[in-house]
Amino acid sequence: MTAATGSPSDSCALPRPSGRAAGFECRDIRKTFYRNSAFQIQALCGVDLTVAPGDFVTIIGSNGAGKSTLLNVIAGTFSVDGGELLLDGEDISKLPEHARAAFIGRVFQDPRAGTAPSLTIEENMCLALRRGRRRGLHMGVDSSRRQVIRENLCLVEMGLEKRPKTQVAKLSGGQRQAMSLLMATIAEPRLLLLDEHTAALDPKVAATTMELTERVVSARRLTTLMVTHNMELALAYGNRLIMMHAGRIILNVGPTEKKELTVAGLVQKFRDVAGESFTTDRMLLD
Amino acid sequence: MLVTLSSALEQGLLYCFMVLGVYLTFRVLDFPDLTVDGSMTLGASVCAVLIINGASPFLATLAGTASGAAAGIVTGFIHILLKSDSADTNYGPKLISGILTTTALYTVNLRIMGRSNIPLLGETTFFDKLGSMLNVRMVHWPLVATLAVLAVIVKYLLDWFLHTDLGLSMRAIGDNEQMIRSLSVNTSVTRVIGLAVANALVALTGSLVAQQQGYTDIGMSVGVLVAGLAGVILGEAIFGTRSVSWVLFSVIAGSLVYRTLIALGLRVDWIKPTDLKLLTALFVMIALGAPVIRRKLVKS
Ligand SMILES: Nc1ncnc2c1ncn2[C@@H]1O[C@H](COP(=O)(O)OP(=O)(O)OP(=O)(O)O)[C@@H](O)[C@H]1O
Ligand SMILES: [Mg+2]
Repeated sequence: MTAATGSPSDSCALPRPSGRAAGFECRDIRKTFYRNSAFQIQALCGVDLTVAPGDFVTIIGSNGAGKSTLLNVIAGTFSVDGGELLLDGEDISKLPEHARAAFIGRVFQDPRAGTAPSLTIEENMCLALRRGRRRGLHMGVDSSRRQVIRENLCLVEMGLEKRPKTQVAKLSGGQRQAMSLLMATIAEPRLLLLDEHTAALDPKVAATTMELTERVVSARRLTTLMVTHNMELALAYGNRLIMMHAGRIILNVGPTEKKELTVAGLVQKFRDVAGESFTTDRMLLD
Repeated sequence: MLVTLSSALEQGLLYCFMVLGVYLTFRVLDFPDLTVDGSMTLGASVCAVLIINGASPFLATLAGTASGAAAGIVTGFIHILLKSDSADTNYGPKLISGILTTTALYTVNLRIMGRSNIPLLGETTFFDKLGSMLNVRMVHWPLVATLAVLAVIVKYLLDWFLHTDLGLSMRAIGDNEQMIRSLSVNTSVTRVIGLAVANALVALTGSLVAQQQGYTDIGMSVGVLVAGLAGVILGEAIFGTRSVSWVLFSVIAGSLVYRTLIALGLRVDWIKPTDLKLLTALFVMIALGAPVIRRKLVKS
């Protein structure tokens, strides 16, 4: 250990964007759970959304609005009942989840969901580095990959790059979530999906994770959809905002309008379009 | 006593490949694969039939091993057919696919052999051939040494494999399947490859056991899976699990410990050889059940 440990940022230049960020479009996406039973739930009833390359869209909405379902449908965890998902004009709705994962990165709410606990930090990173590429009998962590992994790890400024052989199970929730974010972005996905990825962290860690998200997304100019319950976050980050309610997009705020929007203004807008108030929702509590 | 020890080590080393296979499925892939009982006899049958038909024992052993891989692939495909999309942690389809393959293999093995057993007395086996090449008689300690070298080679091959891109994805499947799928790994195909490797190891044990004991018998592998589990449990408990490379050695050592315990058990007057399966089942039950029971006791 030398004195240099205090400030890793000198050696940590953010990578340049590769220009792979995709434009994305949902056309009339529908999803029903427990179809044809008494418990039928229409989670998405015709979602239309157009996202330009490099857009950072924040998504808010009450519980059960269909935000997670929308992200799961885009990623292919759930199949759609109808509609098209176009990535740079190409319909991806028939591809299986793992095939879509070649160009879609995801971070989940649960910090344990994004990493393999019994593998080491560098092994996890190496798995992420191979997104969308062949996985054969090449040595997983070799010296050139180790270099890339190290550079990425020091972006989070948690000292993870100094202990690449530590099992991920031994890391804190915040550290694991930071790793999940790196793993979702290290291979430059064309689309990044974040589902309340800071909601399970304590406020301070959530703030640093959000700051890291902003840095990574803007440095790589990733097309990003971020679900959050926190209106402040939804307004502070990204260049666009959409609000979902009962399986529909009820509000779509563009870049210029979003800059001027306040929490109060947003609540008012919701009342105008939905005719209900947020009182039962945890959004106001955040 | 020394002869007993050498034969216990011999058995431990013969069966350690099977134990590695069980480790690979149960622990690495989180797939409780019941194909083992079928694929071990499959390896032994294929190997024996080739040998009595004049094939080189090296080739026969290799073919026996490969037949196990085929059995693993079959189990993997049945699993793909039976599983529902969402339920990664559902063990039902995993158990059923192994049971189906094992049941089918009973017939296949009888068909391959044409009868229920094939004696190999008087045939040149893998060990005879290797012995004549090295100019030693392959019994007792020379046999133990040969098997030990083979075990070390297989251990390092497996160790290397589990650190390749493919091996890493395989380990991630057992750890967090949703995560590795969202990193673009086709988990179905990768799991099939894992099952193939595991059952190849099991069939290697089958081929070697047949040649060492001098016959293949349709019932030779009954209960071998539980013995494999006993080896894995003993190895992990005694020697630890600090890393993959380490745990592979632990598991091999577990196989040796298990066979030594069996040999010691047989020296007790009132224990008959036929009691061993019951004792092994009891041991595995206690080893798996103890933590559960302890938790329940602490709660109440
Ligand atoms: N796997 C599933 N099976 C059945 N129903 C589901 C499933 N996932 C979501 N739903 C239902 O679909 C509706 C939308 O749920 P979704 O999780 O998308 O809401 P959300 O907007 O993410 O809410 P939250 O803010 O609480 O996370 C809910 O009524 C929910 O019960
Ligand atoms: Mg949700």
